Amino acid sequence: MSARDDNADADSWRKAYGLALSLFAVEVVLLYLFTLRFS
Amino acid sequence: MNRLDYLVLIATILAIPLYGLWRTRGRASLGQYLKGDSSIRWATIGLSVLATQAGPITFLSMPGQAYESGIGFIQNYFGQPLALIVVCAVFVPIYQRLKVYTAYQYLGERFDRKTQLLGAFLFLIQRGIAAGITIYAPAIVLSALLGWRLNLTIWLAGGLVIVYTVIGGTKIVSITQRYQMIVILVGMAIAFAIAVYRLSPDLSFGNTLSVAGKMGKLEAVNFSVDPHKRYTFWSGLIGGFFLALSYFGADQSQVQRYLAGGSVKESRLGLLFNAAVKVPMQFFILLLGAMVFMFYQFEQPPVYFNQPAYQRALESSHGPQLTELQTQFDEVFAQKRAVIRALSTASSSERDAVTNKVRTLDAEARALRDQTKAVLVQAGVDPKSKESDYVFITFILQQMPHGIVGLLIAVILCATMSAMAATLNALGSTTAIDFYRPLIRPNASDHHYVVAAQALTAAWGLIAIGVASFASLVENLLEAGNILGSIFYGSILGLFLTAFFIRRATGSAVFFAALFAQMLVFVLFATTNIGYLWYNLIGCAAVLIFAPILQQTLFRSAEASAEV
Repeated sequence: MSARDDNADADSWRKAYGLALSLFAVEVVLLYLFTLRFS
Repeated sequence: MNRLDYLVLIATILAIPLYGLWRTRGRASLGQYLKGDSSIRWATIGLSVLATQAGPITFLSMPGQAYESGIGFIQNYFGQPLALIVVCAVFVPIYQRLKVYTAYQYLGERFDRKTQLLGAFLFLIQRGIAAGITIYAPAIVLSALLGWRLNLTIWLAGGLVIVYTVIGGTKIVSITQRYQMIVILVGMAIAFAIAVYRLSPDLSFGNTLSVAGKMGKLEAVNFSVDPHKRYTFWSGLIGGFFLALSYFGADQSQVQRYLAGGSVKESRLGLLFNAAVKVPMQFFILLLGAMVFMFYQFEQPPVYFNQPAYQRALESSHGPQLTELQTQFDEVFAQKRAVIRALSTASSSERDAVTNKVRTLDAEARALRDQTKAVLVQAGVDPKSKESDYVFITFILQQMPHGIVGLLIAVILCATMSAMAATLNALGSTTAIDFYRPLIRPNASDHHYVVAAQALTAAWGLIAIGVASFASLVENLLEAGNILGSIFYGSILGLFLTAFFIRRATGSAVFFAALFAQMLVFVLFATTNIGYLWYNLIGCAAVLIFAPILQQTLFRSAEASAEV
């Protein structure tokens, strides 16, 4: 695997981590809105 | 339970291991036995990781936890997605590059043999006891409610797991967990749908949620900074992060699951799948508990959910006292039901007063249940597990249609088997690779180590059954598992983080730092009342602080000679 492939691979994984993090943030916000609505 | 339930139950719990045995037939090399093979894809890894963590306690205790205290427990999982990302980025590439069988082999390569053995030893103690709780937890509840003999339940469930785990190793654990987790998810979705369907027609679903919220059951997020509060956003995010980082990064029962695919990509995708689904899954399980709570606001619940214990006390000299409490409970229940109905139609000006009335009546009902428990203790039938653990299973047995009851009991047993299989697989592998191979038979054949791992897996299975058979009082099954983990995980994680990030640290410094950190956590656990999730942070931070101090003082010469 070339250095360019390695960089592309690392970039893809960084995007995947960013996506997972964003999804978690959305989950927490939704739970907080749920708490505000029903408590 | 009728014949249909038993048919569904037996077919479900036997079919999956039999299929697993068929898929893993033939002789395996040491690598295949301990790490599976490259045919295992990310979806199987993801479900396998999910099943290993869930366990029976999640499905038995968690709805009961929400019934008693609301859904705030969800916050304990807030640190997990972050921890899984760190595990994907830091731990997975190192383990896959070094091609280790166990996480503790990495400690041996980075530091020395004694640090490897310390990490493995802390894991074995913690997981050995936890394996006992894993099997005892459902056995005590199922045996009490279904009239099964406790030891027979423990031996049947445990025996089946031992047999297929010993024969098939990591591959069979991954394959069976995949299908067990599918059964679990389908079963819980059906339970949720039926619980919602069985809610009172007097209230819409939205109104039901509003009333549950007003009764304090739907506070999912609490930003309090009080360290004595068990479930807050901060303790879940920070303490939960360290707990999850240690659990997924340094607990062999999980490491073995995601190393099964053999490639960094499959391991990472399986873990990221968990990062995405864990919080929503736990939310729905807790919400199911809140729905069961609302169901029992209109349908009279038993004053005490552990009915076998209650019936024994009723037949004793304390019977009249319990009958009196039951009468008072019936009256409070009837009043509360009427007020909740009024709450749904109350005008906004009346709502606060009616809400306060509901809360007062709910507190009265709770006090009557506490008094009932006190009478049970006086009568000498003190139950061996927390009453809330009986809530969901009682709901299943009394309110679900036949066939579904069998499926949901199978869900609990599938969860038991999948968690126990992963644990035994990891305990056997760690003992074989970290202790047996280097200390007892260093240069034997691959096949010899496969047989050794099989024998050690069986031995750990028998130990787990022994712990389960002699366990008597576990206050709360869900809490017990998490508390036990939190006591040990901080130090174990500290070992790994020191290895990754403190380059100058040598084996002796980190070894003694971990011992001191573990003692510190023991002392704090015995003498203070801080939320248990914080022990993960304290234990880990203590290793990270002690290790450089010891390195710069007592073990300075070791560092110098290591550099030479």
